[in-house]
Amino acid sequence: MPTLTVQPGIVVDLHDDETVLEGLYRHGYAYRTGCRRGGCGICKVDLVEGTVRYPAAVSPDVLDDDELASGTCLSCRAVPEDAVTIALRQEELRRNPWFAFADAAKARIAPPPGRPGGHPTHERARGADHR
Amino acid sequence: MSVMRLGYVHARVTDLAEAKRHYGNTMGLYPMHEEAGRVYYKAWDEYDHHSLVLEEGGVGLVKLGYKVSDPADLDRYEKRAEQFGCIVERMSAGDNLEVGDGIRIVLPSDHVVELYSDMTLVGTEVGTHNPDVFPRHLVGVGAPRIDHALITAEDPGLVDRFFREVLDFYAAERVATSLDDDAQIIGSWLSTSNTPHDIAVIGGPNSKLHHFAFELTDWSEIKRAGGLFAMDDVPVDVGPTQHGITRGETIYYFDPSGNRNEVFSGGYTTFPDRPTVTWTVDQLAKGIFYISRELNERFTSVLT
Repeated sequence: MPTLTVQPGIVVDLHDDETVLEGLYRHGYAYRTGCRRGGCGICKVDLVEGTVRYPAAVSPDVLDDDELASGTCLSCRAVPEDAVTIALRQEELRRNPWFAFADAAKARIAPPPGRPGGHPTHERARGADHR
Repeated sequence: MSVMRLGYVHARVTDLAEAKRHYGNTMGLYPMHEEAGRVYYKAWDEYDHHSLVLEEGGVGLVKLGYKVSDPADLDRYEKRAEQFGCIVERMSAGDNLEVGDGIRIVLPSDHVVELYSDMTLVGTEVGTHNPDVFPRHLVGVGAPRIDHALITAEDPGLVDRFFREVLDFYAAERVATSLDDDAQIIGSWLSTSNTPHDIAVIGGPNSKLHHFAFELTDWSEIKRAGGLFAMDDVPVDVGPTQHGITRGETIYYFDPSGNRNEVFSGGYTTFPDRPTVTWTVDQLAKGIFYISRELNERFTSVLT
């Protein structure tokens, strides 16, 4: 299963064949995007590490060979093949607060391995927000 | 006589198979002809051979075709377009599949518009003899008709003038920098029929497409289309909502190549003698999206 790291340090698991953007959306993350179908180029990010592939055709008007070679990643179409690290361009990764709330709720239900009992501290639940 | 309507949109798509899934299965258009790298579609209530041509390779607009009512119109519009300073060339029957003689005009905004008076008549899906009100086996949205396109131009005022002075369109509505006489035109909704726009132009880069639209009968059809977009994972830009400009009801969404489409219903009935409505830029968001009065950045920046 590929993993995606967004600098400086958000890490999410991706499904096989899932694009960078789909994976981030599924985990409740967002940034400025456009058509989400490879036509406009607004969701371009920098590929810092790892390999992506483009199973869907992408117009060279939107992403040309030079950009591909120099590490531009069209995030709505790029599917990571392995552990991939990206950096956003003049954009901040936003987390949907309801997803953060759900993470905290999950942490309350399932105590982390090695910790007996089902009553994690408030600090622990809040910590899950900031993983 | 004059220009009657938007006859065809010719657009580029990155993947023809994906595009066919969208325009065929989701929008419910009828494939009329297919050749290497191209497919031709017609909507069910249209009677000419096709209204949408998809060409594989790239994104955006190749050209728009507008149908005139009489072959003699072509000569008149050819002269006027040349006098306006446009590049104009003649096209022959067969240059476009099933389309007769015509002229090809490069607009001041570098968009290509073709005028023609004849396209092979194939008939609507319900025919002309005691017709039913809709075809029984529509697929997906089942759009009856293509409606209009919005293009972007560095000088929208010049494109407004072209369509009025050369092609006898009239401006139903405009967005302007002020209500003063020396106001600059930021956008224009131009009609050659009884609907509020057969073409619209807004400030932006030359030769780009903002969207092309399919007409639906009413608001409930817009909502139903939205349900189908959810089922088929069509990325929605904005809507369902209502426009101030045109008063039409709408959803904007993207095809699988990122070209923006619209489903559009309603809109007032208009005539060439209707006084042009002017919106000032400070009220632009209300003009475009009357209910939310907000323009999202995606809507104003994604072009193909």
